[in-house]
Amino acid sequence: MANINGCNLPDDLYYYIEKHVWAKPMDDGTVRVGMTSVAGKLAGGKLAGATIKRKAVGKEIAQGKSLATIESSKYVGPVPAPITGTLLHGNDKLAADPNLAINDPYGEGWIAEMQPTDWEGEKGTLATGAEGLAAYQTKLEADGVSCD
Amino acid sequence: MDDEKVLIIMTSGPDTPRRCATPFFFATLGVAMEYEVSMFFTIDGTLLLKKGVAENVYPKEGGKPVSDFLQDALDAGVKIFACTASTELHDINPDTDMIDDIKMVGGAWMWQEAEDCETVLTF
Repeated sequence: MANINGCNLPDDLYYYIEKHVWAKPMDDGTVRVGMTSVAGKLAGGKLAGATIKRKAVGKEIAQGKSLATIESSKYVGPVPAPITGTLLHGNDKLAADPNLAINDPYGEGWIAEMQPTDWEGEKGTLATGAEGLAAYQTKLEADGVSCD
Repeated sequence: MDDEKVLIIMTSGPDTPRRCATPFFFATLGVAMEYEVSMFFTIDGTLLLKKGVAENVYPKEGGKPVSDFLQDALDAGVKIFACTASTELHDINPDTDMIDDIKMVGGAWMWQEAEDCETVLTF
């Protein structure tokens, strides 16, 4: 776990930096996706809802397109897909406690699981490891974002 | 019918400030859910699109003006349409008095758009 501008960012995840979401390949070939701690900060730190669009389940969602939404009393926005793939299901725990997505974004607060269309081909578009985190840091500094 | 299209009809205006934030919020949320969202302003809603009005309508005392919610919706990609006939009701000149980034349409546009949308909400 690296700490960049006060934001916790594990170095073993794959980041779609522009949209502040992560992807993690699972052993069964699926990919788990979620928001980064940066997204939680930008959303204002407390959510009223984190919702998967029901009709999107079972459908292919292109990288960058919305697979879920988060909303607080002051903010609403999409959770874009970090990769192209079929949306398998959302995280049921978010219905009872949407703030898991902020308080435990890499653990219990994951957003959804996808069947990637072309993980091997697409993972190169994501940032990962020390090099990826350095790129993320550059983005945060350019945008003036800090999680402190 | 297109199940990805949504129409929000806005009839509330400056006389009812508390009714003037949520419709924009719902519109922005709809775009975040990948719906194609249009808002149609008529009756008193049209007044919110008159230059200089939305900046001075506060849904909550001490909160953000309606213009902020409107801008969020425009930034998200919500398409905004105003009823030309309703400008007459308020003595608004549709050519010079309205904000940028909106389109003036007739009432028949609303009927046709409503037919195309799976969901129509009215505020």
